[in-house]
Amino acid sequence: MIKLIQTKQNKFSAKWLSKLAMGAAMCLGLSFGLSSAANAGIKIGEPAPEFTLTNSMGETVSLNDYKGKHVVLEWTNHQCPYVVKHYDSDNMQSLQRKYTDKDVVWLSIISSAPGKQGYVKADEANQLTESRKADPNHVLFDPEGDVGKAYTAKTTPHMYIINPEGILEYAGGIDSIKSANPKDIPKAVNYVDVGLSALLAGQSIEKTLTPPYGCSIKYKS
Amino acid sequence: MKTKKARITDALCQISKHFLLLAFLFLTLGVLPSFAQVQSPQTDNGQLTSELTLETFSLENISSLPVVDATTGPHIEVFLISEDLVLAPGETTYIGVLLKPEVLWHTYWRNPGDSGEAPVINMSSSHNLSFGEIEWPLPSAIPVAHLVNYGYEAENLLMFPVQVPVDLQSANSDTIVDITADLSWLVCKEDCIPGFATLSISMPVFTSNSVASQIEKSSDNISEKTSATEISFKDGSSTKNSLPSADEQNNSPFAALFQQTRELLPSTEWQGGKHEINDKHIVVEIDMKDKSLGSTSKLMLFPFRSDIAQHAAEQIIILEDNKLRIIVEKSIYFDGQAESLKWLLSDGTNGFYVESTPNIASLLPLSSKQGSEALYIYIIMAFIGGLILNVMPCVLPILSMKAMAMQHSQHSPLKIGRLHKSAYLLGVLACFNAFALLVILLKSGGQQVGWGFHMQEPVVIVLLAFLFAYITLVLLDVTQMGTRLAGVGQSLVSGDTAGSHFATGVLAVIVASPCTAPFMAAALGIAMVSDAYVTFAIFNALALGFALPLTLLFLSAKAKSLLPKPGQWMLTFKHWLAFPMLATVIWLAWVYAGQMGHQMQFLLLLMILSFAMFIWSSAKVKSNSMQIVMNLLALASLVAVIYVTVIVPPKQTSNNSQNTSVGASIAFDKKRLQSLKDDGQVVVVNMTADWCITCKVNEHVAFADSTVQDALAQENVHYMVGDWTNKNQPILDYLTEYKRAGVPLYVVYAGNKSEQVLPQILTPNIVIESIQQAKKEISNDQINTN
Repeated sequence: MIKLIQTKQNKFSAKWLSKLAMGAAMCLGLSFGLSSAANAGIKIGEPAPEFTLTNSMGETVSLNDYKGKHVVLEWTNHQCPYVVKHYDSDNMQSLQRKYTDKDVVWLSIISSAPGKQGYVKADEANQLTESRKADPNHVLFDPEGDVGKAYTAKTTPHMYIINPEGILEYAGGIDSIKSANPKDIPKAVNYVDVGLSALLAGQSIEKTLTPPYGCSIKYKS
Repeated sequence: MKTKKARITDALCQISKHFLLLAFLFLTLGVLPSFAQVQSPQTDNGQLTSELTLETFSLENISSLPVVDATTGPHIEVFLISEDLVLAPGETTYIGVLLKPEVLWHTYWRNPGDSGEAPVINMSSSHNLSFGEIEWPLPSAIPVAHLVNYGYEAENLLMFPVQVPVDLQSANSDTIVDITADLSWLVCKEDCIPGFATLSISMPVFTSNSVASQIEKSSDNISEKTSATEISFKDGSSTKNSLPSADEQNNSPFAALFQQTRELLPSTEWQGGKHEINDKHIVVEIDMKDKSLGSTSKLMLFPFRSDIAQHAAEQIIILEDNKLRIIVEKSIYFDGQAESLKWLLSDGTNGFYVESTPNIASLLPLSSKQGSEALYIYIIMAFIGGLILNVMPCVLPILSMKAMAMQHSQHSPLKIGRLHKSAYLLGVLACFNAFALLVILLKSGGQQVGWGFHMQEPVVIVLLAFLFAYITLVLLDVTQMGTRLAGVGQSLVSGDTAGSHFATGVLAVIVASPCTAPFMAAALGIAMVSDAYVTFAIFNALALGFALPLTLLFLSAKAKSLLPKPGQWMLTFKHWLAFPMLATVIWLAWVYAGQMGHQMQFLLLLMILSFAMFIWSSAKVKSNSMQIVMNLLALASLVAVIYVTVIVPPKQTSNNSQNTSVGASIAFDKKRLQSLKDDGQVVVVNMTADWCITCKVNEHVAFADSTVQDALAQENVHYMVGDWTNKNQPILDYLTEYKRAGVPLYVVYAGNKSEQVLPQILTPNIVIESIQQAKKEISNDQINTN
């Protein structure tokens, strides 16, 4: 009986401590959330925010370099189950191959901060590209999260399409079924595929904004 | 001022407020189960089941219990459990999935928020059970870095009702039903791990034997378990000491978990609400009468849809006059198209569901596609509304007169022509269709109007007041038959030609226009904001309903024979009918006072009196010329009021309505605005309306703030309020100039130098900064020109 009560008390104090810690974490998280929410959002039909980042080869890449071409931005985190869903099934890579063959520029961006899930060093990123048979033009690092926040990127994956004039044409989810289950891929409408094929055919995109789904981006806190 | 409580003064305050709210949610959700555990009844007979609570529940101490299956995934344990031991045919039982994430890890509510995913439970069974919807416990908002998720940071039981069919009872008493749950979940800290599992339990169907054996089995198991986990009871008694009741007998060891979770469920009753979707926000208004929840600082509105809101943004919550208004930041992924939005309003320990619909009074574009079924319902409502309109006090006297006049009619209904019979119906239809056409034309011109929109025009009120006063006089036989003016009136109401029937129809609609019958408001609301064909359909349904009773009298001899026989009573009844008419005059005078002020109302009443006197005189005097003079004088009384009404500017509504707006405001006037701008003054223009939820919130949060009032009271700063409650052309022009479909609109002018259009949701700082900015620009300008 006594033994039982004691273990209970210990359990309690541990819980309380962890709750306090959580409270502090919440406070930090909140102030952060508020400041990022204050940032101006993106708008379809308006110029996409310009950026310059370092790629996995150590070169500098700017969005401006690709004026005249369609550009896809893909926020990624190789450890996120939702990204895994689209890479293990070859869904993301086949999209990359399909459209880079058609002269579309594909930029995979990693906004995970050092020490957080999805953060990789350059050689690791190149290994991932090779092992997963991925085909982006560049893998870009955004460890400070500035570019991600400029695009109000929320999740991995989070997809954007920019037209040759630098105007944002699409922002949102990769497809229409919010799940981590690869079985859903064939049933879903792939918004990036539909959007790019419309743009390349000279038409406009029907669904320009769709809710993104996936893991939260592991920004620097 | 109590309103100050809800004010946001700066970001620090926002953070602390939000933190407190979350901390409260967190603590209550975290602590309640522990209280429940401490207080859970320990019955003397040693009902061991109560020992299992959400917190003590674990994989080790359930392994040998019945009606449970369990699995583990990384950072989580998942259980499928039943509240009952056996299935009772024809009864509802509860089955649930218990998710037990590790400390600091969480699972999700039906809407996971910015990221994450709600658990998916697909149920199936070997027999024909039907599984209901998940009853979600109250979630908490869980900040994860820059996002907010909705879910549970502790053990949570997702239960759902299961209907056991009556015919499940088979001859074979050993029927066992297998119940299988196909589960997928996501458990997250900052990182997330998805899991999949199939769990199943088997339950026997109720027979007297099955209960006994099952109970025995369960208590044996529990006793076994008891020793293993060192849980013992004071008196060391066993469950067999006293037999529990039949209901308790069927309780599984997990019944207490279900009971405990029910305490965490929101109320099952749905509450209606209204919402407005602005550029960047959704504003929801909920009637809080008969609702009691914790203080507003603890409240949070959880949307069902994840794509409509920026979940990480703070919600601004204001309670005023039993109306709770909540500002939710809109997601950029929300296109604003929604016939209704579903929400959960929670104070952390209690909550209820809310379904909000677009605020129809506002000019927000509404999806024009009403489902055919909905349209059908609205058409029926319009028809019934039209029928009821017949007995409204403004209409009943006219129609009664007509009905009575028909008693005198020499025509047999069989002999008169078709046109004659349907003239009244045609009159009603023509008038309603003209009204519908007007609504559509005004709408295409960018204006949106409601039933009785003409009532916003004081001149119309005057005309109607005189018309009703005149009808009163006719009913009281003050007017003499044969005089020209009276003759017109009499034949309108009680003549027996096709023309007079048609005129009665038109008149009936005109006198009906200030009235609204039950069922009408909703149908007309839809008619006003929908496509042209819907408007026509609803107005025609209303017209048919309205015309039906009298048309029946015209068409059918049988219906006519139902009317009471003519006699002296008819005269008395006719005189009596004057009083509902007079009541309508009083009401119109009251409306007029609201528009023009009490002095003007006095004039109106005086002129109606003199009008009545001259009409009476006209009936008394003998000579034709004197009659004409009297009629002209009566007409002059009317013209006098109309003339004054037109030249006197309408009373400022903002002054008499008890708004929280600043006292020293100027009513919107385009010329005045221009002259102030030319003088190099700062002008703050606030376009508002009484029915606008967003405006109310802003007046409460920003304009009622003392610092804002001080800023507006500064020299060279002027505060101009345009009241769009009664829609009018100058404000419409102004709104159109700023490409707005409606209010609110806030513009701050620095003379003619610049203008700032403020956001649709204001804080005191936004207003003050914009004023300072404008002042700075003007002073710079002066330095430059000097």
